Amino acid sequence: MDIVVCIKQVQDPDIPPRDFKVDEEKMMVVPPANVPPVISTFDENAIEAAIQLKEAKGGKITVVTMGGDKAKDSLKKCLAMGCDEAVLLQDPAFDGSDAFGVARALAAAVRKIGKFDILMCGRLSSDWSYGTTPLALAEALNLPSVTQLQKIEARDGGLRCERALEDGVEVVDVSTPCLLTVSNEMNNPRLPSVKGILTASRKQIPLWKAADLGVDAGSVGAGAATLELTKLYKPVFTGQCEFITGETLEEAAENLALRLRADKII
Amino acid sequence: MDFSLSDEARMLRDLCRGFADRAIRPHAAKWDRECYFPVELFREMGELSLMGLLVPVEYGGTGVGTVAFAAAMEELAAADNSTAACWNAHLTIGSLPILHFGTEEQKRRWLVPLAQGEKLGSCAFTEPGAGSDLSGIETRALRTKEGWKLRGRKIFITNAGTEMSLGPLVLARTGENRFGFFVVPRGTPGFGIGPKAEKLGWRSMDTRELIFDDCLLPADHLLGESDVESIRQATETLAVGRISVAALSLGLARACLDASLAYALERRQFGVPIASFQAIRSKLADMATRLEMARLITMKAAWLHDRDEPYRQEAAMAKLAASELAVDASREAVQIHGGYGYMEGEFPVARYYRDAKVLEIGEGTSEILRVVIAKGLGC
Ligand SMILES: Cc1cc2nc3c(=O)[nH]c(=O)nc-3n(C[C@H](O)[C@H](O)[C@H](O)COP(=O)(O)OP(=O)(O)OC[C@H]3O[C@@H](n4cnc5c(N)ncnc54)[C@H](O)[C@@H]3O)c2cc1C
Ligand SMILES: Cc1cc2nc3c(=O)[nH]c(=O)nc-3n(C[C@H](O)[C@H](O)[C@H](O)COP(=O)(O)OP(=O)(O)OC[C@H]3O[C@@H](n4cnc5c(N)ncnc54)[C@H](O)[C@@H]3O)c2cc1C
Repeated sequence: MDIVVCIKQVQDPDIPPRDFKVDEEKMMVVPPANVPPVISTFDENAIEAAIQLKEAKGGKITVVTMGGDKAKDSLKKCLAMGCDEAVLLQDPAFDGSDAFGVARALAAAVRKIGKFDILMCGRLSSDWSYGTTPLALAEALNLPSVTQLQKIEARDGGLRCERALEDGVEVVDVSTPCLLTVSNEMNNPRLPSVKGILTASRKQIPLWKAADLGVDAGSVGAGAATLELTKLYKPVFTGQCEFITGETLEEAAENLALRLRADKII
Repeated sequence: MDFSLSDEARMLRDLCRGFADRAIRPHAAKWDRECYFPVELFREMGELSLMGLLVPVEYGGTGVGTVAFAAAMEELAAADNSTAACWNAHLTIGSLPILHFGTEEQKRRWLVPLAQGEKLGSCAFTEPGAGSDLSGIETRALRTKEGWKLRGRKIFITNAGTEMSLGPLVLARTGENRFGFFVVPRGTPGFGIGPKAEKLGWRSMDTRELIFDDCLLPADHLLGESDVESIRQATETLAVGRISVAALSLGLARACLDASLAYALERRQFGVPIASFQAIRSKLADMATRLEMARLITMKAAWLHDRDEPYRQEAAMAKLAASELAVDASREAVQIHGGYGYMEGEFPVARYYRDAKVLEIGEGTSEILRVVIAKGLGC
């Protein structure tokens, strides 16, 4: 079973809130000093899912990302975890791409990689949380897609997938090749072993430019973006603490329930 | 001059940071409180191939080099100094004598399981009457027809009494001025293990007295083809342990700085965060500056070691500077936390304060290191 996983490198979402800074003028998030970027959370779940499928069924895993030089670190981590090959898409023409631009470039890269059974992504990125890139990618490659998965099971001629939905689990059978997006319910991503790190550090990561992909520079980047950012700011949260009491524990619980209902929380 | 870590070293450091966040930091206070040695943690570290960082690949290790090793050690040490110190003892004194002195057959037999994390390594130098001055050891190994007969006592020995311990490498006197390391597997008749020592800090560490009461060992349990002529010859290849304890100290000092900075920014007195008081800022600035200095000399010593250049002087300086920093930083961390700092539980700094002191004692006391450094200067 050959798998291609698309990952994104993001600012570490686990930094303390006081270190999260936004430049409202430039409408940009200011990366905190000395905190290296990381693989977007659900993408790491996708990598783990791919490795588990490979361990069960054999095959090859190729990881793709679009990004700057630092993105190589994230690719290396995937290799160290157990992926086989990695490709970095890098070109000034890609700068400022929206989800559709990114999807066009990724689609071209996936075509260039060639044969695969599953294309995987995380269900959302942990920076902007749009969740559009995977679907735009499926559209660009004309693939069936199943999103937000908590389980993937290989069966004859296809896959049985479980979607983790708010109100339950949906079971979907899908034929391959297909695009799947993975949710955090699926697994706990492993840490790479030191042996994995040593293997990964010997592997070369090819760099593909727009021209290598046959991507028209006009179809990607800021110029092709259809999404317009109009304002970026850090929301201010105000907290208020209130103690709900009662003569007995039962009464306190009842008062709490009534209060939550009054506030339309339940 | 290039201060950057190699990709490999950075990835190893990130692995150790991630592993420490997931598997160590959340449990450190409990292990300390209950004096519990987390054997399951060390088994997991074996699965991540973290137990043979200084052992070459052909003997089951990963041979990542001293710089990468020091960066890794700092990460675990920042999460829990006590378990990191057990790891340190395993990786350095518990494994390296076999690598340096052992025959090919001994390396296959004992080093491979250590490096692969199936066994935990330990090494016994110290005795009731001999610590800083190891030439005074009284544990004797007598040559017999069948092999060796070991008699003596060792104290303060790390990692020898756990369920995954291989059994200690014991430094013993084989003659008037001759010494050797002996492998004493767990369960060897005549090898007794005392109860766990109660300690000020490093409380999850398994530290014990070992008794050798005419303990009979086969001839091939002496490391190497023969014993050696001086204590120096027996111990000198182990100075890399000083770099390791320096890195242990850096981790602790960094944990103190991180905790203190976060607390000082949050804690308000007189209507403002205490980080706005000059007295507190100076403490933080000093800690950060000394941490950077100590890390530089530690990394330089590690770098020299990796290049096979003389590194002993730098290793001694690194261990001295970093361990004294750790003690000072932990004291100031408690001070910055005020009354909360003195209490166990809510904040980790009381534990840091207790853990720090031993860093000035093991792998050469501060006094001995100053003697070594002054000698290196030509005194
Ligand atoms: C938690 C812990 C774990 C340990 N684990 C191990 C282990 O795994 N294996 C092992 O072999 N040992 C171990 N040790 C022992 C450790 O290596 C010794 O404690 C250390 O070498 C100091 O020896 P000592 O305790 O006998 O002190 P001493 O040598 O008696 O020193 C006492 C004091 O005298 C000073 N002093 C001694 N000589 C001089 C001098 N020439 N000039 C100036 N001052 C001097 C010292 O600096 C110190 O302040 C451990 C110790 C501890 C606390
Ligand atoms: C064992 C123990 C027993 C105690 N018993 C009692 C008791 O019986 N009754 C009682 O009421 N309290 C008691 N206390 C509390 C003790 O009095 C306080 O811990 C002490 O007053 C310090 O206050 P704090 O802990 O809130 O630290 P903070 O006031 O928060 O101080 C934190 C740090 O900020 C520094 N700092 C604060 N303000 C300034 C400033 N303006 N300029 C520069 N630095 C500043 C402090 O020096 C300290 O380093 C006890 C504490 C302990 C540890």
